[in-house]
Amino acid sequence: MTKTKLKMATALAAGLGLAGPALAEGELNIYNWGNYTNPELIEKFEAEFGIEVNLDGYDSNETMLAKVREGNTGYDIVVPGDSTVQIMIGLDMLAEIKPNEMENFKNMDPKWVDVWWDPGRNYSVPWQWGTTSFTVDTEVYTGDINTLALMFDPPEELKGRINMLNDMNDVINAGLRYKGYDRCNSNADELREVTEMLIAAKENWRTMDYSTIEKLTSGDVDLSQNWNGAAMRAREQRPTLQYAYPKEGFTGWMDNVAVLADAPNMENAKLFVNFIMDPENAAMISNFARYANGIMGSEEFMDAEMLSAPEIVMPANAPTPDFVKPCPQEVTDLYNRIWTRLKQ
Amino acid sequence: MANPRKMKDLRKQPGFEFLAYTCLFFLYAPIVVLVIFSFNDNRSVVLWTEFSFRWYVEAFDNDGIREATIISFKVAAVATFFSTIFATMAALATTRTPPYRGQTLAYAIINQPLMVPEIVTAVATLAFFTLIKKLTGVSGIGYLMMAHTVFCIPFAYMPIRARLEDMNLTLEQAAADLYATPFQVFRTITLPLMAPGIVAGAMLAFVVSLDDVIISLLIAGPGETTLPIYILGQIRRGITPEINAVSTLLLGLTVILVALFFIIGRKK
Repeated sequence: MTKTKLKMATALAAGLGLAGPALAEGELNIYNWGNYTNPELIEKFEAEFGIEVNLDGYDSNETMLAKVREGNTGYDIVVPGDSTVQIMIGLDMLAEIKPNEMENFKNMDPKWVDVWWDPGRNYSVPWQWGTTSFTVDTEVYTGDINTLALMFDPPEELKGRINMLNDMNDVINAGLRYKGYDRCNSNADELREVTEMLIAAKENWRTMDYSTIEKLTSGDVDLSQNWNGAAMRAREQRPTLQYAYPKEGFTGWMDNVAVLADAPNMENAKLFVNFIMDPENAAMISNFARYANGIMGSEEFMDAEMLSAPEIVMPANAPTPDFVKPCPQEVTDLYNRIWTRLKQ
Repeated sequence: MANPRKMKDLRKQPGFEFLAYTCLFFLYAPIVVLVIFSFNDNRSVVLWTEFSFRWYVEAFDNDGIREATIISFKVAAVATFFSTIFATMAALATTRTPPYRGQTLAYAIINQPLMVPEIVTAVATLAFFTLIKKLTGVSGIGYLMMAHTVFCIPFAYMPIRARLEDMNLTLEQAAADLYATPFQVFRTITLPLMAPGIVAGAMLAFVVSLDDVIISLLIAGPGETTLPIYILGQIRRGITPEINAVSTLLLGLTVILVALFFIIGRKK
């Protein structure tokens, strides 16, 4: 009830033009992926600043973008993926909050500062980052797992035991890497070759589904394309699973905290952005979401099993993850056509 | 239609039992599985270990689930209340009046939310509400309740209208002959007779509101996550049996509501 009253008062004040310089007290409205935010982190932030936080979840970048694009949603903070950050900056949807001038910016790992989706970090800071590769049961397949051939030209024991992500870019990019071709490819011959390879490989796939943890732990499949955090959770229930770092390469991704241009609680949002660059707080996010953050010194506060997890700590000889840029429209159209054929 | 004497009992048709049981199996088996795994002492929704109430406790402790459930019920209650009133008025206006020009159009307009794909309604409503918010500066859960009220109206309307069409006009005409005022006729004759239709309509509206995903997903503002949106948000990061526990509780509640409705209906 008090929440509603407060909201009405805020709306009234805003309507009358009375909302003066933002106070350290008040509200903060966060719109993040579902089940991705540690409730203890929110409690700590509320206690430290006397700000009441509303937290809501979405299921995809597209849902968030569709809703926020209309404006006036009331949300302050969103957590878009790398290419979505670039799209949102291009559409003037994000506030230039200058995290690079904030107090805790010194904690950000330098390798995450000059990223292509936000060079120099004028709009966003890292929330969690991870990789998209695949998980195999090493009891079922005992050979070398670090190759994409297991998905596209599987050995006898893995045939019909494979789950792929139901995601156009993840599947096509893996196919391009296997063939050794560039990402965002518009070369007709190369794409035809990849398409034929994917259609042939599909014969050996059992499902194409996002619910990778359930697929693997139920024993429905023995190999699944997977995100590293999900791979770790699946391994906890099926210890013979191992996360692969294929020699042909694999996708890296980062979700970033950004502030909307029309955020009603701009100052509180900036407080939050600075707050999560604190190593202790960044570690709280990782301990819950089970992915790495981009903040130096957070290891000290992280759960021990995460620091030793091969899914989170990449081996030294693994290739560098490939953060794929958004492709031009004509390439996306070609990909859409390949995807439609593959899904038939 | 065919001569009734020639019509055989449908239940005697070959294969009827098999088809019927197959349909029932596919309708209810997933729900049974969901209920069973809500009592599983394990994070998995597919592997059984042993019986426990662990996920019920965790669901009650989970602020996100608790708040989403409360919001869902609040929105459904308000939407049911208003949509049932509007639907009752609409049903009276389309059955208890002499035929008038544009009556068919009126039906079509009332039932419009059933015809238009939900995503179209959702996007249109989002744009419309954004415009209002910009002009007035007012925000809050009222928008979500309004949107739910609108798409619940046709669901509440259908059973009420069906009931009114089944009701014979003689009682109402007799009352009017005996100098009852139109309001007295409505209060003492029409309303009690149509009450079962109203209750059925209200229940349908409640369930439809509780169920809605697409419109809620686009309309809901900060702090207005309903239960279906909450569940949808979990999919990428893995569903926990907490969801099974909440779903089982909701299922139990629905069964109780329907049972109560039948018992009340029978006594009359």
